[in-house]
Parts: sequence; C-alpha cells; structure tokens
Amino acid sequence: MCAMAGKPTGDVYRFQDSKGQWRTHRRPSHHQDGFRSGGPGISYERQGDDLILQMGPQHPSTHGVLRLEIVTDGELVKHITPHLGYLHRCFEKHAEAMTYPQVIPYADRMDYLSAMNQELAYVLAVEKLMGLKEFPERLEYIRVLMAELQRIASHLLAIGTYGLDVGAMTPFFWCVRDREKILDLFEWVSGARLLYNYLWIGGVAHDLPAGYTDKVMEFVTYFEPRVQELNDLLSSNKIFIERAASIGVLTAEDAISYGIGGPNLRGSGVKWDLRKEEPYGIYDRFDFDVPVGTGEFGVLGSAWDRYIVRVREMLESLKIIRQVVDQMPGSDPNEAMPRRIRPAKGEAYLRTESPRGELGFYLVSDGTEKPYRCKARSPCFTAISALNAMNHGGMLIADAVAVIGSLDIVLGEIDR
Amino acid sequence: MTPEAIHDALQQYFGEAITAFDADAIDPTVTVEASAIHDVGAYLRSEPDMLFDSLMCLSGVDYGEAQNSLGVVYHLHSTALRHTITLRVEAPRQDGVVPTVCDIWRTAEWHEREAFDLFGMRFDRHPDHRRILLPDDWEGHPLLKDYQVQEFYQGIPVPYEGDPPEIGMDVYRFQDREDLA
Amino acid sequence: MLQYFRNIWEGFWTPLVGLSMTWRKLFVPSVTMQYPEERWELPTNSRMQLFVNMDDCIGCLQCERACPVQCISIDTVKAIPDEVEETTTGHKKRLHVTKFDIDMVKCCYCDLCTFPCPTECIYMTPSFEDSSPDRYGLVYHFVNMTPQRAAELEEKARQFDAAEAARKAKASEKSATATA
Ligand code: SF4
Ligand code: SF4
Repeated sequence: MCAMAGKPTGDVYRFQDSKGQWRTHRRPSHHQDGFRSGGPGISYERQGDDLILQMGPQHPSTHGVLRLEIVTDGELVKHITPHLGYLHRCFEKHAEAMTYPQVIPYADRMDYLSAMNQELAYVLAVEKLMGLKEFPERLEYIRVLMAELQRIASHLLAIGTYGLDVGAMTPFFWCVRDREKILDLFEWVSGARLLYNYLWIGGVAHDLPAGYTDKVMEFVTYFEPRVQELNDLLSSNKIFIERAASIGVLTAEDAISYGIGGPNLRGSGVKWDLRKEEPYGIYDRFDFDVPVGTGEFGVLGSAWDRYIVRVREMLESLKIIRQVVDQMPGSDPNEAMPRRIRPAKGEAYLRTESPRGELGFYLVSDGTEKPYRCKARSPCFTAISALNAMNHGGMLIADAVAVIGSLDIVLGEIDR
Repeated sequence: MTPEAIHDALQQYFGEAITAFDADAIDPTVTVEASAIHDVGAYLRSEPDMLFDSLMCLSGVDYGEAQNSLGVVYHLHSTALRHTITLRVEAPRQDGVVPTVCDIWRTAEWHEREAFDLFGMRFDRHPDHRRILLPDDWEGHPLLKDYQVQEFYQGIPVPYEGDPPEIGMDVYRFQDREDLA
Repeated sequence: MLQYFRNIWEGFWTPLVGLSMTWRKLFVPSVTMQYPEERWELPTNSRMQLFVNMDDCIGCLQCERACPVQCISIDTVKAIPDEVEETTTGHKKRLHVTKFDIDMVKCCYCDLCTFPCPTECIYMTPSFEDSSPDRYGLVYHFVNMTPQRAAELEEKARQFDAAEAARKAKASEKSATATA
C-alpha cells in the first residue's frame, strides 16, 4: 500500500515506433480532467484533507489484481472506489470470433477456481439457445457431480484464503490439501487440473473412467470429518469470530438490489438458491438444504455469516454427491451430442448457481456458428460493487481486507 | 404473471412507449422506447403485482450498422412473485442516450458503466459515468462490430502484428527428444 | 463480569483446540512431495505436450480449424497419385504435409484439436517438463522438411496438374470432334 495524493497526468507521449521513427501521441483532452473519485451508489467528492490510500493492484489480499482507492479519515474508511480492468482479457470480444464449442476454454478462464461451473453455465445457455432439452440421464448426473465437486473445491479455497486474509495460516494449507484431492479427481476424468474443457454442448469430453464413482465416495468419506476439523480450527475460534462477526454487514435489501447471489446473499439471511428456486438440469431430484446466515455470533449478514454459509454448503454438496453416486445410471452420456452447433436466430439468458453466486450467460445468435453477442453476467462483479454498501461508518482499513476476503471474489471473472 | 399479462399491463399504462412484444422468443421480450425505460422500470419495481426487485442482467448489444442501433437488454426477475421478463431498448449508434435505471436497481450502476465502456451509449443521469473495464483514456468502444483498435496506447503499439523477428532463434526439434517420441 | 471472563477463557481455549490439532498433524505423514526426486503418477489421459504422429497425418486441417487460438499452422502440397501412401488407419495420404508447426506458447491445452482428427494422430502426452530459454524453443516443428524439398514437391504437383489439364483438354477436344 502506498499513499498517493493525486494522479500525474501526462498528455503528450513521444516514442519510437517499430520502424525507428519518432512519433508523438496526444491523449484526447477530455481525458485530462485529472483525479476524480466516485463509486457505486453515493459518488464521493473528495474533501480537503482526506487521505487517499491506493490498495493494490499488487496486493495479496485483493485476490488478484484489483485496485482500491480508499478515502480514509484516520483509520476509518470513508469511501472505497474499486478500479477494475487489470485482468481484462476481452472474453466477450473473443467469444464473437469463436465458434460455440471454442468458447468453452475461454469460459473456463473466466473464473479459474470454478471452471466446471463456468462451463456448465455457458453450456446450458447454449443449449437453451438451441432448444435442446432431452439429454441422456448419465450426462445430467455427470454434470451435477462435476459442478458439486467444483463447488467444494472452490469453497475450500475461499475459506482457506479468507483465513489467510485475517491471519490464520494453517487452515489454508489444510484446505489446499483437500482441494488437491478434488483436482486429482478432475485430472483423472478430463486430463487437466484447473481448466478442464470437459463439459461440452450436449455431452462431455470423456465418459467417467471405470471406478470413478468409488474414488468419489472415497473422497466423500475422507472429506466429511475434515469439515468438522475445519470448524474446530477456524469457524469456532474466538479470535476469528471476534474479527469477522460484526464487520462488512450487508443487509438483505441491499444484497438483492445489488444483484448479489450465492453464499453472499445467503449470508444475509435470504434463503435463495437457484438450484432450488429455478432448478436447472436435474437439481430438483436431489434432497439438500440451503444454509443461510443467522447472525449467531454477531450481526446478520456479516463476514462471518458469509464464511459459515460456505462451510455448511460444502456439507450440502457432499450430500448431493452421495445421491448422485447412488443414482448414477449407466449409459452413453454423449448420445445426444449435436454434431453441428448452429443455433437459430434468437437470444437466451440463463443463470446458474456458481460457487460465487449467480452466474449468467446472455447469448445472441444470428444463425451462424459464432455467437453474435456473448455476455457473461459475473457474480463477483456485482459483489464487489456492493463494497460501499457494507460500510456503515465504522469500517477500518484492516476491515476492508477482511470484507473483501469474505466476498470471495475472483478477479478473472470480474474483469473477464 | 405471464409475460403476456405483464406486456398487457405495460401497454395499458404506457401506451405508445411500448413498441413491440415478442412472445415466441426464448425469453419473451418487451421492446420499450428508450426515453421511457426509467418510468417502465420504476413501475415494474414498485407495482404490487409486478415487484421486479432484481435486475439479473443488463447487457449492451450492437445490432450492427444496417439497423443502425445499439440495444440495452434488461433481464428482470421478481424474487417475491417468481416471474421474469426481458426488456429491450434501442438507441441510435451515434450519441445514443438511454436513461439510467441505477436508482431503481443498484446493480445497474456498474452494468451500465460496463455497457458504456464496451458500446458507447450514454446513460442519462448516471451518477458516475466512467469507463470501468478499460482505462479511462482508451479510445473507442471495443464491442462495436466496426471497432478499429487504436494504433497506440500511451506510446505502446496496440495491435498485435504477428511474431517479432526471429533473432537468435534456436529451433528445437520435437522429434529429437527421445523421451517424448 | 461473567461474560468478560468467559470471553477471555474462550479466547484462550478455542485457539488451544486449534493448536492441539495442528500439533497432532505433526505426527502424520506429510502430503507434500520433493518434486524433482519424486514425481506424481499422472493419469494416461493427462493433457500436457501435444504430439503429432506424422506418419498418420493426412493433412486435412481439421485440427487447425478446431483450435481456438490458432496455434497450429499446416502447409500442404498435393501428392501425385503414384506417391499416395496409406496411414495405419487406412486413410489415403493425398497431401504432403510440408509444414506442421504447433506453437506451444500459445496453446491453451484445451484438447479441442485432438477430437476431430480422422486418423487420431494428434494427441496429448503426459509429458509436462519442457522449457526453453526463448519463446521459439516451444514452437514444435513436426515436419523436418527443407524448403528445397517442399518447393520440389510443389513443382511436381504443378507439373502433374498441368499434364492433367492438358490431358483433359485433349480428351474433351477429342470427344467434341467425335460428337461433331
Ligand atoms: S490443445 Fe487447444 S490450443 Fe492447443 S493446439 Fe490443440 S486446440 Fe489449439
Ligand atoms: S486433424 Fe489429424 S490428420 Fe488432419 S491435419 Fe490435423 S493431425 Fe493431420
């Protein structure tokens, strides 16, 4: 972190081009209005003696490259302006130049910590656009299995890094150790550990290898006691509770208005899970609970509530996985894979429950093999926009770190 | 409420401002005059039998030069009444202006900034109308279909012009490696 | 007052619970690995370096088209009928592949190129340890063909085409005179 009072604005640049000639480049004049601070909701006019603290872009607790411009009054945070775009990789522009299956690897890279869920959302959106509805049973079960394993893996990392953000080192290693086991399972089925390109439109890249479900069950039985261990280690730790249970309070109204979904919304006490409310795939067949925050150790909607929702959700995911493995039918998952993917003219929006919230894809087709428009509605993007709504006047600079960690953002998805 | 019923109610209330309704689309879509979108949004948000309290997605679309219009598509959902509707407004490609809806749904604020950033339509009365994903001094709006990337950004050449010259290139032949072949 | 002492007690006790677990973990085998000495057993379908079995490649460009990042570049020359060979899968090699480069720097290891290949000659291997001091070191050239040889093949194809065209023209002339 470094304190900085303003932004230098140079307007004319001289440079040598590739042919060795000197050229000048002038920034357009409407960009020279210098330093401004503003942010979601209430835009903030900087007052005389405010100190601006630049946090990031290279800061370990911003979980990527995010720059926060924090207006401080002593130790108190008055206003936060997030500056995005350091990881902007033009996903939407790229998608317009790719055929529909070729977008899947790019969708993986949006949220690299839950690639399976990204794939699932994209693939379901394309299928909605194409009007495909009937799929082999096994395919549906494989999708749910992958999505739930990935949800556990993603929550494990979210919990581990949150512990790290507030100063607990050990849980991180334990979480990563268990996550590794899930990645091994993914590697076995798809060949890759992080970016799978496994769920395809109307099919999967490979069927599950023989004995896969046994290995999954092995993991489930191994992992269930570890959650309890994690609870003992971190969730019920007095120091951790004191740290997290009263900061970053997000009210339910704010959360809905800001379009926040997933564990962040449930942490505010709203029982809303797209797997239950708008079951996509075959989620309506499974029996699981939706854990919500109750504010048991502090204020409802606090960072600790969001954290504990993730921990409890892992147990629910294990429940779903058990049911999937029990019911897994044997057939060819790729029976109904369309040979040519060319949706008719039209547009479709589909949202799914990714580990970070409500992930949607809005696709417009003009009847060719490439999407005309592919918009990813990212859950982290909306989550980070609510940062100021969580500041009720008493947020300290150190709390900002703890609040961002509790939102579980992934910058690859915010910037796309 | 069914999309048809929502459309009928809107038609009754706003008359001319509702220009089209596509009931057969995958997501039934109501097309609204750009100038009326704020009123339509406020109505949908507050009317007791609508209660669209969540804006799922706000996307800009470029409908191309032939149609000469940019679109903004709003996907609305009501968490209380469990119905959805899609609204669409169109604005001219040059200097298109759409009223902001970010005082109705807070999430629209950043999504509108994103749409402005990538498409260039202005959102009237937006409190913080800046670029969001691209740097402030970037030129042009990349998701337009006729976007030409700028030649230089702060003195750095922007377009990728193939590989740099092959100086000192040490060709490494795959077949020479026994462990892989 | 009671709450005050309870807080202090909890503040001591709950970290001790955690610490006791941490201590217990000292006596279980470690899960980390001394990498260069010990290695992971990778599954056979691991997606690492690409490999092309050039004996089987028929130069159909399917893989080039499937690649989302355009990191495969293939040049082909038509083979004259006498030179057409067969692959192990029974496909006819009607084209000479004069260049088959894969730029592993650009490759995103997505595996999309291996599925459309009709002869299954492009596949991913579980070998991941490859590095190079410069970025061209990771451009794999699967065809060892000198430019002279490529030009030769091209010339041959051109001559064959010309001869074929001449033959066709003659034949059509003949048939024209025959019908006349
Ligand atoms: S793995 Fe993917 S990126 Fe690499 S060459 Fe094949 S298709 Fe292209
Ligand atoms: S798809 Fe297979 S046969 Fe065709 S060019 Fe590629 S490697 Fe050769």
